[in-house]
Amino acid sequence: MIQVEGLTKYYGNYKAIDSLSFHADAGEIVGFLGPNGAGKTTTMRILTGYMPPSDGRATIAGYDVYENSLEVRKRIGYLPETVPLYKEMSVWHYVDYMAGLHGMRGNEREDRVDEVLDKVGMLDRANSMIDSLSKGMRQRVGLAQALVHRPSVLILDEPTIGLDPRQVREVRELIREVGEERTVLLSTHILSEVSQLCSRILVINKGLIVAEDDPDTLSARLSGSTRFYVRAGNVEPDALAEAVRGVKNVVEAHASERGVEVTSAPDTDVRPQVAAAIVKNKWDLLELKPMGMSMEDIFLQLTTEQDGEMVMEEEEAL
Amino acid sequence: MSDVNRSLHTLWTIFKHEFSLYWISPIAYLVGAAWLFLSGFFFSRSIGAFNQGGFGFGGLEPSMSYTLSPMAFLLMFLAPALTMRLVSDEIRSGTHELLLTAPVRDWEVIVGKWLAVWGVFSVFILITLLYPLVLVWRGSPNGAQIFTGYFGYWLWAGTILAIGVLASAVTQYQLIAFMIGEGVALFLFLADTAGSLVNNTLISTVLTQLTVTQHYQNSMLDRGLVSAVDLAYFIGLSAIALFLATQTLNMRRWRA
Repeated sequence: MIQVEGLTKYYGNYKAIDSLSFHADAGEIVGFLGPNGAGKTTTMRILTGYMPPSDGRATIAGYDVYENSLEVRKRIGYLPETVPLYKEMSVWHYVDYMAGLHGMRGNEREDRVDEVLDKVGMLDRANSMIDSLSKGMRQRVGLAQALVHRPSVLILDEPTIGLDPRQVREVRELIREVGEERTVLLSTHILSEVSQLCSRILVINKGLIVAEDDPDTLSARLSGSTRFYVRAGNVEPDALAEAVRGVKNVVEAHASERGVEVTSAPDTDVRPQVAAAIVKNKWDLLELKPMGMSMEDIFLQLTTEQDGEMVMEEEEAL
Repeated sequence: MSDVNRSLHTLWTIFKHEFSLYWISPIAYLVGAAWLFLSGFFFSRSIGAFNQGGFGFGGLEPSMSYTLSPMAFLLMFLAPALTMRLVSDEIRSGTHELLLTAPVRDWEVIVGKWLAVWGVFSVFILITLLYPLVLVWRGSPNGAQIFTGYFGYWLWAGTILAIGVLASAVTQYQLIAFMIGEGVALFLFLADTAGSLVNNTLISTVLTQLTVTQHYQNSMLDRGLVSAVDLAYFIGLSAIALFLATQTLNMRRWRA
């Protein structure tokens, strides 16, 4: 559905994206993960026909985004990072205007505006001025605008940025729902978001794709060190953690709700030694369960491998 | 859906959107009030002159020239005030990103917006058609002259509004857009004065022909004539301004 080959964009001498290549198949939700300034927005703006690429090409549904921009724009719904709204308009008229720009007319258009507002849960606020809406509601109106013409591809730039946790959950739910029948490309610098929503992740840093995989594989591929939970009976978690820390090659061990989280040094497996230590203390070993690497770790690892000084920026972004 | 059909639909959608936005913004009412106040002032003063011979018009021959001529000049303040936000506001608020990624062409955005603001100004002009009705009621003015006077005024408004749209596309700052629009309009008034200072026949002829007074006051308004040259002047200038505005909008894609 989306095919990108060698896409490059310069701003003056600055290379914002550097020969990106990737694809997204029909019905996929693909996550674009990277710190601020990685080139996510630039890529999306090229895909939506907002700006031309400096080099390379991208096609959506077989149409070149530059040569055949109008055909592409008919097929995509786009939610830019700062939701562009006409604040002095009512919700209904705004979405109706966007439907009109997409060539919809008459009763079909009116019904569709009602339908899409209902879908994003804004039908009861249809007559409200956009100016009076909360940030979460504005995001939903932005989503309604992107959906109203039934696009086959949705491009969402940081769709949950600046929302409170409840609103974030609502918007994610909505994306998951609309993603069932569409191709979705969404960008974010929030790690849990991609792992929850996306079937495939593209990690982008400084204009380059540094990893591409599904969340599980990506997690497995990168975990050179073993991490696991350990639980034991007749011992306090804190005491258990203390004992496990004494085992050779254990980098870290601390008590958590699910047991003691243990991290080994890279390329070592300390599980036998940990089990032995528990038995030696005459505690009952109840569970030893491997733990996937969290997306946060992947992200830090991926980008810090490239460049040490990125760490600071990322931590701010998180 | 044919391409022409699609374009018309887009133009109509943008026209309707922009036209209705004007009536919920204070600027249209301010400009409208200024237009009605000033034209009312000039018209009532001219009535005084027509009346000098006593009851009934016995003084000057009744005409709209005394109203429309100063108003043609004052348009250079009123029109840019209406157009200054038209494109610049979208750029500042980011809504232009929607327009530039919707399946519409850049020229449709520009022309749709221009037709909307011209439509708003046409409403103001229509209200003042009461004035010639007064003239017809109290005397016997030259009907053809009133018609060409109004028609020319309407064209001049379209031209200066097109220039205002261009000014608004150039910058994201409304005040700068206003000043650019006003500056260009002022130039179109004073070009012949500049021409008379130049010692080169070609340049001074061009400058004179660029002057609006040449095509409006001295032609359509006072002589009641519609010449091809005058029409070409207004239509040509409007087309050039709208073309440049479209190019400016398109250039934003490359600079963005």
